[in-house]
Amino acid sequence: MILYAAEVIPISFSDYPKEPCCVIFLAGCNFNCGYCQNWKLKKISKEYETNIEKIKEMISKNNLITACKITGGEPLLQYEVVIEIGKFVKSLKLKFGIDTNASLPNALRKVIPLLDLISIDIKAALNRDAYLKIIGVDPPLSSIKESLEIALKSNAYVDIRIPVIPGYNDDLETIRSIEKTLIELGYEEKAEKNMASITLLEFVPENAHFEEFKKLRNPSLEDLMKLKSFFKIKNVKISHRLYSNYG
Amino acid sequence: MVKNTTEVLLNKAPPVRRSDGIIEEFDKERIVRSLIKETKLAEILFGVPPIKEEEARKIANEVEEDIKKMNLKFLSGPLIRELVSVKLLEKGYHIYRNVYTRAGMPLYDVYLIDLSEGYEARENANLQPNPETFHKKKADFLSKESYLLMMPLRIADAHLKGDIHIHDLEYWGTRPFCQDHDLRYFFYYGLMPDGTGTHTSVAGPAKHPEVAILHAAKVLGAAQTNFAGGQGFFNFTVFMAPYLRGLDDRKIHQLAQMFLYEMTQLYVARGGQPVFSSIQIEAGVPKIWQDAPVVYKGKIWKDRYGDYEDEVHKFALALLDEYIKGDAVGKMFNFPKPEVVQRVRYWKEKEDVMLKAAQLSAKFGSTYYDNLIPSYRGGEDGVSCFQCCAYSFSEDGKSEEFKKKLYFEDGAHFSMGGMQVITINLPRIAYKSKDEDEMYEILRETMDIAKEALLLKYNIMIRQYEKGLIPFASQRPRGAPPAVNIRELVLIIGFVGMNEMMQHMTGYELHEHPEAQKLALKVLIEMDRIKDEYIKETGLKFAIARTPAESCAQRFAITDLIHYPDYAKKYVKGDLEKALSLWRETTDLPIYYTNGSHVNVSARIPLYERMRIEEKFFPILKGGNIFHIWLGEANPDPEAILKLNKKIAMESWIGYWSHTKDITLCTSCGFIGGGLYENCPICHSKEIKMYSRITGYYQEVDSWNAAKKQELKDRYRIKLSE
Repeated sequence: MILYAAEVIPISFSDYPKEPCCVIFLAGCNFNCGYCQNWKLKKISKEYETNIEKIKEMISKNNLITACKITGGEPLLQYEVVIEIGKFVKSLKLKFGIDTNASLPNALRKVIPLLDLISIDIKAALNRDAYLKIIGVDPPLSSIKESLEIALKSNAYVDIRIPVIPGYNDDLETIRSIEKTLIELGYEEKAEKNMASITLLEFVPENAHFEEFKKLRNPSLEDLMKLKSFFKIKNVKISHRLYSNYG
Repeated sequence: MVKNTTEVLLNKAPPVRRSDGIIEEFDKERIVRSLIKETKLAEILFGVPPIKEEEARKIANEVEEDIKKMNLKFLSGPLIRELVSVKLLEKGYHIYRNVYTRAGMPLYDVYLIDLSEGYEARENANLQPNPETFHKKKADFLSKESYLLMMPLRIADAHLKGDIHIHDLEYWGTRPFCQDHDLRYFFYYGLMPDGTGTHTSVAGPAKHPEVAILHAAKVLGAAQTNFAGGQGFFNFTVFMAPYLRGLDDRKIHQLAQMFLYEMTQLYVARGGQPVFSSIQIEAGVPKIWQDAPVVYKGKIWKDRYGDYEDEVHKFALALLDEYIKGDAVGKMFNFPKPEVVQRVRYWKEKEDVMLKAAQLSAKFGSTYYDNLIPSYRGGEDGVSCFQCCAYSFSEDGKSEEFKKKLYFEDGAHFSMGGMQVITINLPRIAYKSKDEDEMYEILRETMDIAKEALLLKYNIMIRQYEKGLIPFASQRPRGAPPAVNIRELVLIIGFVGMNEMMQHMTGYELHEHPEAQKLALKVLIEMDRIKDEYIKETGLKFAIARTPAESCAQRFAITDLIHYPDYAKKYVKGDLEKALSLWRETTDLPIYYTNGSHVNVSARIPLYERMRIEEKFFPILKGGNIFHIWLGEANPDPEAILKLNKKIAMESWIGYWSHTKDITLCTSCGFIGGGLYENCPICHSKEIKMYSRITGYYQEVDSWNAAKKQELKDRYRIKLSE
């Protein structure tokens, strides 16, 4: 099977909660986010073409990992590849997770039985204007909702990731709106079982795709703390260079 | 300058400014007497009889004639001495010249040292610029020069040419290398920091936990004045435990914190630096200590260490908590290095300690993991430790002598440490040989020189020790056995550049081909065999170890560029072009050889492959080795690190490892975070300090030498992008 993958990080300690994991970057994305730091992977190009056996070999030889995570790009654009890798990863008794922008619910439905972890990016309140400003394409809002629902009803651990971009989505209204959507879709019951969380991510302007985002500042730790305090639902975490969840 | 008329008239030599601060008339008899007296050193050091009186007189006459011809206004003692030295060389008396000459340094260098520039300004990153350091540098220069003159030419030349590197040369004649102390000794006999009790007060055995902690800190501080290298305590948490009975958790944390502050604020060692210290953290009581009687408050008690499992556990947790907290500004404690012991039992019963160790790795990278699980470490039947720069010492538990030490019978105790390290230049050996067979011959020759130097050091140290000149080590309070058994210190042969040696021999770097790994293993096995011969032949302890090589990985690369430029240019790592452009300006150049048998730090291979290559060498390198994991992440997940640690501990041969996390500290806004930044990511100030692990310890990057800075740039980190 041919796939388009940009790189593999053999071992990472920050891409899968509590597990040392390898990370596979699949190429190609249907969004055009201005803040994206992996924007070089947006286009599927010939240089990324590789064989799935090569990826499998890299995973099976790696005796130091306990999990494997696929990110991108948008991995579900190559959902058959995700399924193939997922089956292989599970056969090695490793945990398996993906990152997704939630725009492809049908693909997600096919992949979800294999997943132990699904990290979903929610970039703004689920309304057209707010989302468009960040992702740069007409937002498939109903698909995003559908994907969230599939994920929250599944057996996988769900981490909702919000990249906090000052001036775009770092306000009380955004938080209230996202929270409302999540509650409607069943976040609370899942969080109660500690199978769901929200992570506020520090956006890093230096690595952004577009100039207007490069000019922004990164959110301070205090900003993220404040946003966190706006949430009424549980399991809200922070990912910031200045912050570690262990004091 | 015009000469004094009388002197001209009498054709007399001018007055002499003696180096001891007196001016007197020139007297050639002084030359005669000093030659006769001082060339006795030739007999003591090299077995060459001293100069004969008539020959000395002849030389003195000739020197006097020369001086008169020079028409000088004044003379100085050092000047006359060098004139005599030249005369000795002219007459072919090289050895007399060696022992008669002066050691010292050019005035210009002295001037620069006071400004923290010039001579070895960056040789040891643990030395910060301050008045103590400047004083030490001058003393170091003088000592190094003298010791090279005092050793057989063969050894001195091997060092100067870069075949071998004599570590801590400035302490060659005065200090043994390192020591892991047995705390029970001081809890039984009390403390006399000077070793004799004449210049310092003498303390009885600690009765209170605070005093026990202070004594422990002062033992390491005092011992550092006698040793060149690291000072530590094996079994630290176990030996402290009896003092902690009945204390609540808050109090135990307070004591742990006190110890870390003492060890990082006693800024007094060797030229004003913190003591290079380490402590072994056991999460529980090791099997062999279970039935040993506890020793504290000046007595041997009926209780056993096994009765203090709970205190040991609590103290381990408290220490790690305090390390994780950091100091008052949130900075890491870089000393004492915490050596967290790995045993199968701890992974079952003390996972809380293992987790805290991983949290400390995730936050500051400071944890070292001392893995006793692989069978070659002797497991549960011996006592062993990794010390300072990752040297390892052990005693195995079969002998009667061992049992006496375990039970502290008549004060018998463990004293583990190194006498001296000599590193051999492996790439050089490859360059010199035309094929593999010859390579083994030259390896043997090089190791023989190292052995000869080590034996010389051994004899010098025995002499110093017996004369009471290493008084902390030789102290015998109340008729006790001496604190340090000098005869048991290990003679360590280290090596640098296995990777480059293989590159020359096989055409591949270690990570490039199994052929290179196979031959590397063969070379190590041969080194191990030769070492065993030395042990048999001398009855002394020898060991093979990876060398920390903070300065010698750079020095060998430079000496090889001088003596074997065609080869060295192909193999040295770092920025060769920059090094060549700076060639005439400085010897602090950004090139190096790969340490020990490590894989090239910039090799783009996954961690598991690096581990598979490097773990093979651990069982042979009983004298010490380290596996580095360079973390590239700002906030790694401690539990992910915990799981990796468990795999390494239980499933690999790695005996000692650490996670290195690069840390940036901003002095304007107080930012402390993972990663290396040129500007502060928060306030964009350039007032930043970067910290990373240099060889076996953390220090500010700015104080590193150019080669180590280059290596830091070259390190291939685990993660490529965020």
